[in-house]
Amino acid sequence: MKTLILISWRNLWRQKRRSLIVILSVGLGIFAMILSIGLLNGMINQAVENTISTSIGHIAIHQKGFQDTMKLEYNFLPARGIEKIIMEENYVSSYAPRLKVQAMVRSAEASRGVLVYGIDPEKEKTISKISDYTIKEDGGAFLDSPSEGSILISKSMAKKLDLLIGDKLVLMIQDKNNEIVGIGMTVKGFFQTPVDSFDKFVVFAGMRKMQEITGLDKNITEINILLKDKKDVDAVKKLLISKIGNPDLEILTWKDMVPNLVSAVKFMDAMMYIFFSIIFITVIFSIANTLVMAIMERFHEIGVMKSIGTRPSWIFFIVIFEAVNLGLIGLAAGVSMGTICTMVLSNVGLDFSFFIESMRMWGTGSIIYPSIKTMDIVMATVIVMSTTIVAALYPAVKAARIKPLEALNYV
Amino acid sequence: MQISIKNLYKNYQLNGLEVPAIRGIDLTIKKGEFSAIAGPSGSGKTTLLNIIGGLDRPTAGEIRVGNDDLNKLNQKELSDLRLHRIGFIFQAYNLIPVLTALENVEYVLLLQGVLKEERTTRSTRILEEVGLGEYINRFPKELSGGQQQRVAVARAIVSEPEIILADEPTANLDQKTGALLLDLMHDLNHKKNITFLFSTHDQMVMEKARRLVYLTDGTSNSDTFRGHGHFKDNKIKKKSKKKSN
Ligand SMILES: Nc1ncnc2c1ncn2[C@@H]1O[C@H](COP(=O)(O)OP(=O)(O)O)[C@@H](O)[C@H]1O
Ligand SMILES: [Mg+2]
Repeated sequence: MKTLILISWRNLWRQKRRSLIVILSVGLGIFAMILSIGLLNGMINQAVENTISTSIGHIAIHQKGFQDTMKLEYNFLPARGIEKIIMEENYVSSYAPRLKVQAMVRSAEASRGVLVYGIDPEKEKTISKISDYTIKEDGGAFLDSPSEGSILISKSMAKKLDLLIGDKLVLMIQDKNNEIVGIGMTVKGFFQTPVDSFDKFVVFAGMRKMQEITGLDKNITEINILLKDKKDVDAVKKLLISKIGNPDLEILTWKDMVPNLVSAVKFMDAMMYIFFSIIFITVIFSIANTLVMAIMERFHEIGVMKSIGTRPSWIFFIVIFEAVNLGLIGLAAGVSMGTICTMVLSNVGLDFSFFIESMRMWGTGSIIYPSIKTMDIVMATVIVMSTTIVAALYPAVKAARIKPLEALNYV
Repeated sequence: MQISIKNLYKNYQLNGLEVPAIRGIDLTIKKGEFSAIAGPSGSGKTTLLNIIGGLDRPTAGEIRVGNDDLNKLNQKELSDLRLHRIGFIFQAYNLIPVLTALENVEYVLLLQGVLKEERTTRSTRILEEVGLGEYINRFPKELSGGQQQRVAVARAIVSEPEIILADEPTANLDQKTGALLLDLMHDLNHKKNITFLFSTHDQMVMEKARRLVYLTDGTSNSDTFRGHGHFKDNKIKKKSKKKSN
């Protein structure tokens, strides 16, 4: 066996350039695959994380009907019992109440439909990143108290409405009796999240204040929950449903709330198959082609080997080993380059803002931090190695079947 | 053990035509012979050696190596026959290019399942015997044509086969190198009693052979077969040769 491997190893380096080209193409293919998977993965992860960390959390509890209509009439009183259940649930990291109200903001310049998140600023800090996204320069600040009469708007909305910090705007709301009320609010700060649609549509105000304006007293429209580990959402959802046991309340995970992100994740999986098939084809062709050429060149010596008593199976394995060596070196090169590159980029980030303005539309932010799972690398390894062997089968069988006499006559 | 050939025929198919290469040869090679098959190009020498070595099948006739009827052996058995009982030396390019001289010789022993240590000692000793002690770690392309043929001889004898078949082993060598190679084979034949059967159309080689089988126009059906006893080398008289017919 050792000698077979030795022969195939030395055979491999007889045509250094050709072998290197194959190794390079396999390596580059794998490198590109790992990097693109890493980027796609990173994009999707960021889109999901950004959406979770700005608006939806991991799990939300609403009155049934609210999620579909966003109407104020679907409000509920957060009973002590519910809070206790959530608080005592081990998987839960934090939670906060919100009062989401559809409204209109009007400045001297323009007006715009918005969704007001009435929040408890201290609790909000534990479940969303809005406080972090608030721009602290130019005197801007996050909200301090649930009852203050100020408002937080996005930087892009401030530009549209031509508002500066400290300016007043008018918030128009339909209260619980369906009467339109208008109220003046002071702009306390600007925020900017990586999710464009969020910035265009959402503003923040104190929850207590909003309850006052709408006349909802202590009622809210949402309890938002963040888990210690996102993976547990489905299990925790089930737990909460059974523990809370209130059929009027609807408990939804982030997957239920943004189904199109979930389909993006599925799309990503489909993309993986495409990548894998491209690699598959590259490997099959470059390795099979090289081996067929190599065997033609070695026709005579294979004849010699056979005429001195080498069994066909030995010739077969010599060819297979050569392919395995080619594949392994290419794989090692590609995987190490790809992994190192992905790891470096996952820290530094890849700035796409230059050429993809619309990146923000996807909610990924303009800097992508690629991330790759060990499982993807293992998959790539297994696929490349098995493909290599499959690619080598035909040439190996051909070599094994060479008739010694014909080969000897061929010089 | 001997090789016996009875009424052997071989036709080749070429563009739908039957090309007769051997027509009715009877021949017996005995243990310890040092014999040459001579004849012009195309007379069927190579074909005959290939059939004896189990590389090719006869169209008709019988061929036995020891007790084995080659017609009755399958491909794998023929492969094992070549591995254990027959050594081959071809005109040129006999060696595996990616293996050194030593590894080339060892290769046969490896195929036979001989253990590493014994492989190396036996192969080294034989390479020394053929005068290549200093070259054992060279690759074929780093050796001259004559040296390469010596490695081929070493590889053929290392497995201690019953017969060594050499198809024009000197054809690609100059006169002097060819003579030296032949002396080497002669020496091994003498000292180790190894049977050699080679083909040639080289006068010098014919003269060194102790038995000469002459094929003429192997493709014709004339009186093509005659044996010669040459006893030029009169120092060696251990085994005198009989005329074969
Ligand atoms: N593979 C083959 N196919 C067709 N004809 C062949 C083949 N091998 C040999 N021959 C023919 O058989 C005859 C004998 O050839 P060969 O044994 O090679 O002669 P020698 O070795 O004495 O030169 C020649 O006429 C040759 O053309
Ligand atoms: Mg010939």
